[in-house]
Amino acid sequence: MSIRALWVVSHEKGESGKVRFSRRFPTVELRAKSLAGTQYVAIPEDCVIPKLLLTELGLVDADKPYVEVRGDCARHHRSLAVELRLDGPGGRTLWPLLTVTQGALILACLPLVEAPPEPRPPLPSLASVSQGLALLSGLQDFLCGPGGKPEPDVLASRLAALPSVLLQVCPLGRPLDTPLPAGSVPAAVAPSPGGAQKQPAWKAVVHQGRAVVSVALTEKVRSMQYGKSSQQDIWDVYGVLPNVTITLTLPHNGSPLQDILVHPCVTSLNASILTTCSVDENDGSAFSGPYKFPFSPPLELFRLCSYTSQVPVPPILGSYQLKAEENHLKVNVVLKLHESVKNSFEYCEAHIPFFNQNLMGSVEVKVSSGQLEVSKEKNWFGSLKFPKSREATLEGTVHFFSGTVAGPTDPLCTGLTAYIKLYFRVPDLTLSGCCVDQHSVQVYSSAKPRIVTTRELVSSEYYIWNSTGDAPVSSGLMML
Amino acid sequence: MTIADLWDQRISAFLLSPSQFLATTTTESFLAELLHELRNDKANDQLKILLVSVLLGHPTILCPSASVGEETALELLSVFSHTPQKSILLKCNVMLAITNVIICTSCLATHTKTAEDWLDLLFQTIQDTNDYRCGLSQQPIRAAACDCLREMETCSPGLLSQKLEALYLLKQQETTVLHQSYCLLYTLGLKNAIRILTNQKDVTDLEFKSILGGNEGFAWKSNQLELTSLPINMLVQVPRLTQGLDCKELKSIMSSLLEESYLLTPISQSALLRELVEVVAMVPGLSPTLFKSQLLRLFGTADVSLMHATLFMKDTFTDSLFTAEDENFLLKRLVGTAQHPLLRIPEKLFYMECILHFPENRPISSSGEESLPVLVTPRLAASLHPTVFNDSTTMLCRLNLLCLVHLEADEGEADKGIGFLFDHILALLKIVDNDGSREVVVTSFRALFIFLMHFNGMEELSEKLIDKLCDMYSRHSRLAPNLIGLADRIQEHLDDPVWSVKLLRELQKCIMEMPPLQLTIHNLSWHLKVLKRVAKEGQITQRNTIYLLLNVLINSNLCERGNWQVGNAVLAVCRNLLEHPSIDQVFIELADLLQYISIQYDDTDIKDHARFYYTLLTNLSWEKLTGVLAQKLDGGRAKERSHSAIMAESEGIASNLTVHKTNRHVLQLIKVQEKATQSSSESVEATGEVRNWLEVYQGQFQTPGFGSEVTLRYNLTHAKETDLLFDKVFTICLHFELKDSNYAMVSDIHVPCVFRDGKPPEVKVKLKPFQPYPTSLCVSAMFTTQDGRSWHSRLPDVSVSFPEIFLPLPLPPNSSCECKEQVFEHIWEATASGNPDKSAISLFCFKPEDESLADLIKTHFQGYLITDQQSERSWKVLFFLPPKCHILLKITQAEDAARVSIATDNWELLPFVNSYLQNITDNCSSTVTDG
Repeated sequence: MSIRALWVVSHEKGESGKVRFSRRFPTVELRAKSLAGTQYVAIPEDCVIPKLLLTELGLVDADKPYVEVRGDCARHHRSLAVELRLDGPGGRTLWPLLTVTQGALILACLPLVEAPPEPRPPLPSLASVSQGLALLSGLQDFLCGPGGKPEPDVLASRLAALPSVLLQVCPLGRPLDTPLPAGSVPAAVAPSPGGAQKQPAWKAVVHQGRAVVSVALTEKVRSMQYGKSSQQDIWDVYGVLPNVTITLTLPHNGSPLQDILVHPCVTSLNASILTTCSVDENDGSAFSGPYKFPFSPPLELFRLCSYTSQVPVPPILGSYQLKAEENHLKVNVVLKLHESVKNSFEYCEAHIPFFNQNLMGSVEVKVSSGQLEVSKEKNWFGSLKFPKSREATLEGTVHFFSGTVAGPTDPLCTGLTAYIKLYFRVPDLTLSGCCVDQHSVQVYSSAKPRIVTTRELVSSEYYIWNSTGDAPVSSGLMML
Repeated sequence: MTIADLWDQRISAFLLSPSQFLATTTTESFLAELLHELRNDKANDQLKILLVSVLLGHPTILCPSASVGEETALELLSVFSHTPQKSILLKCNVMLAITNVIICTSCLATHTKTAEDWLDLLFQTIQDTNDYRCGLSQQPIRAAACDCLREMETCSPGLLSQKLEALYLLKQQETTVLHQSYCLLYTLGLKNAIRILTNQKDVTDLEFKSILGGNEGFAWKSNQLELTSLPINMLVQVPRLTQGLDCKELKSIMSSLLEESYLLTPISQSALLRELVEVVAMVPGLSPTLFKSQLLRLFGTADVSLMHATLFMKDTFTDSLFTAEDENFLLKRLVGTAQHPLLRIPEKLFYMECILHFPENRPISSSGEESLPVLVTPRLAASLHPTVFNDSTTMLCRLNLLCLVHLEADEGEADKGIGFLFDHILALLKIVDNDGSREVVVTSFRALFIFLMHFNGMEELSEKLIDKLCDMYSRHSRLAPNLIGLADRIQEHLDDPVWSVKLLRELQKCIMEMPPLQLTIHNLSWHLKVLKRVAKEGQITQRNTIYLLLNVLINSNLCERGNWQVGNAVLAVCRNLLEHPSIDQVFIELADLLQYISIQYDDTDIKDHARFYYTLLTNLSWEKLTGVLAQKLDGGRAKERSHSAIMAESEGIASNLTVHKTNRHVLQLIKVQEKATQSSSESVEATGEVRNWLEVYQGQFQTPGFGSEVTLRYNLTHAKETDLLFDKVFTICLHFELKDSNYAMVSDIHVPCVFRDGKPPEVKVKLKPFQPYPTSLCVSAMFTTQDGRSWHSRLPDVSVSFPEIFLPLPLPPNSSCECKEQVFEHIWEATASGNPDKSAISLFCFKPEDESLADLIKTHFQGYLITDQQSERSWKVLFFLPPKCHILLKITQAEDAARVSIATDNWELLPFVNSYLQNITDNCSSTVTDG
């Protein structure tokens, strides 16, 4: 249950990779050597790691169309672990290397294979693999922070802090914990002196100051709407509840929460909470709450539970029709807001992009409500407002320059294959109807903490496809 | 630049490539510098942590032997004890470094005193729970001590097996966050102790009890486990204790560990659970139902390592812990998590792997191969259907899984499912057709490969695919290498090559039918690549290919342009055609084509080759022809290989042109034992002129390069164990790399050949010192073997010792003894009076046994003697060291000791002189030195 080495490699476009941080664990290496015997493959020096890694991830020789080491169709690139070929094809290999890529940063670690080297054992039989994965995810959060893209100097300072972080979370190659995401620890803390009861290891410090329990419920809704009877529209909802006993309640005859995953700090679970699963058929008799989660919270923000839900209708139903006429396109868009959704959007935008066309010329479009904005890069969108009637329309024609100045390209959207993408946020609403009542939050503590609960609905990958063109199939769910 | 910056640079250079960094210095000196700086009170903690990091990551490079390791550990220990208490971070780092050094240099395995002391110190540290004395700030030290002990127990299993009671109490007492460290340490010790006990036959209750109540010393010599003991899921048979032991106490310990397990961080929890699972599996008296209370919590976890530990439990206990209902439920959870929108991609990929290796209660096969659990039905897996919106790895992973699902499914359901997968493949190809990016192309071809591997038997679909691919090729001929690759791989992986042949045949047809305009120069090279591959298939008739080539050459200006690459590509097709089994049918056409090229093509090389092919075709039978053309990768004479390989681009040419690497030592350099050069005592008498010999001597140095080289002679021989392949090697080029900067670059040396049983050739290595210090050289050799391949191999390093750089006093030949003595006396006087300023004198005494002094002088100083007054028992010796250093010795024998007065014009050489003298006098005496 150890890892042999860890690397952070940066890879800027057009440059060769660079090792930004690396750490080897020699005692683990000693074990690796003894376990593999004659088949032991030593880890090469850091100076050659980036090239090997980038080759394996297909990121080298961007200018060449086909390179066999990169493009061989029989290479197993359907696994989370890659192998580094130290002497080219057919030579010694270092396996299994786990990698996580975020932007220009690649995090990689080499778990110890506690198994006979031949034949290669399956990944799930190796304990180090999941531990390596958990460590990498933790390091990713630590290095990249919530925004995902830190400034170069912020990244440099976080990289500089890595040795002391590793001292805590993985001192001798054995992962013990994951680092806290950057900037997530509240300021007023002190080390805990311990008492009669054991302190959880994931709460190393105690909070000084007024206790606050804030429960935020975020639901995201995904949708693919095709506007055709042959292709079934798809939408699903998933939610996060990031922060004592919390009870989630659903409205009367709401559809049950599914695929519930909970944070390890939850102390006990009722079996019925876990029974509903999206891959099952719904028989209507499923448990529908209330969902109780007793837990002892860490001090940082955390995701208490995630779930998915099936709601009968998407919040916004749209239709998009595009017709080609000579050198212009006729656009017709109708968006209907479902009656169960409060018309209190913080924002709602519909982006209508055109790909693989010439640059856009004049746009003659009428919007029933809201304001039309046109973007130069051939994306144009209307900031929408749903009027009382809960229906917004957009109609008109778009002309394109006849020149050769090409706009943005996309391999999917050719011909009349086109989409509208919706971005919106509705505060104080969830589609599943799931909510946390402020008074149901029980805190077993002498100090009375302040309890704040919020909820919101946010769009995520919300597409409405043009019904007059071919839309790409997006899910096997329609097989059902 | 500050010292810290300097170190920063040096250490990053070291970490980037230790071997390159150490080439400019030596390991010993770098280690000495590191340790020196660590002892420096003025250096701040941050710098010291940086310095320790080197030892933390690379202890085996810096401490190549156990003795150096032990010394280094002692040094670090003294650094540790002198570090003030507030420097917590530094102290922790030093602790880890000491542990690394002790374990990796086998101090632990060989049970040295240092390892023992360190272990004691660590144990004292974890027992000293009185944090209040220094405040909570000392907690990290204890945590680090626990980690170190845990690592030592892992690398020497059983070490803590007699300390379990003490560890248990410590674990119970601790209520701060450190309880996690104690808990993990205790559990590991417990597991290893029980594992050791399973090796023993007939364990009694008392022995079993004594494990839990052990409070003795460290078990250095108990029958320890191998370092390589595997986790139980890797063992064919799980080691088990004897039945019927009283497990009450162990059971209550296990329950309390499990009850508190949720207090651990998820990763540590998963480690704990795995250890406990192993314990329960080994002790028949413990029931797996112990874990029942934890299961529900584990099923719902969002943490990947905890879920993984749950699957490990499932694998180990199967139906003794998991009912059929539990199994079904767990699998459903897995499928759900494999596509949960709120998990990260690597985690989802991992869960998909877990589905393919799901530990079923009743597995149909247990081969470790990917296989689908019987409970995964198309309906269950529907949500894992690949889509074009997935990232490429997820998409391929899902496709592979779904292929397996539909392969197993009932007929009606399967057809529908396969249809959906096929639609998905078509959707991917459509993206490729729309000028998808390089990554999309590669991913789509991988998807095609996976699909064909499973469903190549379904003719209708696979034929549709061929149509689609040819259709795409007609628009995007740049896909040629991908298509060829696909055809090759499918042929390799399936016993039945029909699909590949069909694809190639259709591609040939597709090229034939292209309008001539589309055969433009750029696309032509793609088409020729495809045709070349097509020509390899015996089942495909090649007449059309030849017509096309002839047609293109006649009806275009290609021949006039005489582009070598195009010509060579055409010839590559012809070469494969020559080997085609049904060549008889197209004999005349091919002959026409070759002749046409040999006359019309405006490039001499292409003409020659075409003519050569033509001659082969018209004069040899097919059997002989293929014999000549066949590529023999191994063996065969060099000539043959290069002939057939160079005729067209092929694997062979690549292997001929690349330099192969071997990690073994093929050759080595052995020092030629020089016979001591005779001192020219019978030199000519002085010529009468009285000259100032010193001036003459010093005048010589005006000539550039005078006396600046040392020539060392070696025999180049085979290393002991080498392959037969290397018995005769030719055109050897020896390349020397210096490990330091005290010498000038050594030029390469060329040797014509070395045969294993022949006389070894002599090699003269000319060294040009800047500073005449001992050194060692990295030597590598490039050579050719008999089969014509080139090789690169390293030779064992050549070390140049101090006396090897000695030269006799460089005076013109035939100089008399007097003049030598004159020079000697002049230099002696000058150095004794401190001129030049680097001069120094020293004294070395030793006690020779009878007569041994004369022998010593004869064996070691013969060539360097200036005067030899044996009767007076006094000698003068001068060593000249390039570029211009002198070591002068006056040796006299007094009553009971021999005195060696040393004078030199470079005091930096004194330590080397000293150790040299010590070395040569060691056999004959005890020595006394005096500065």
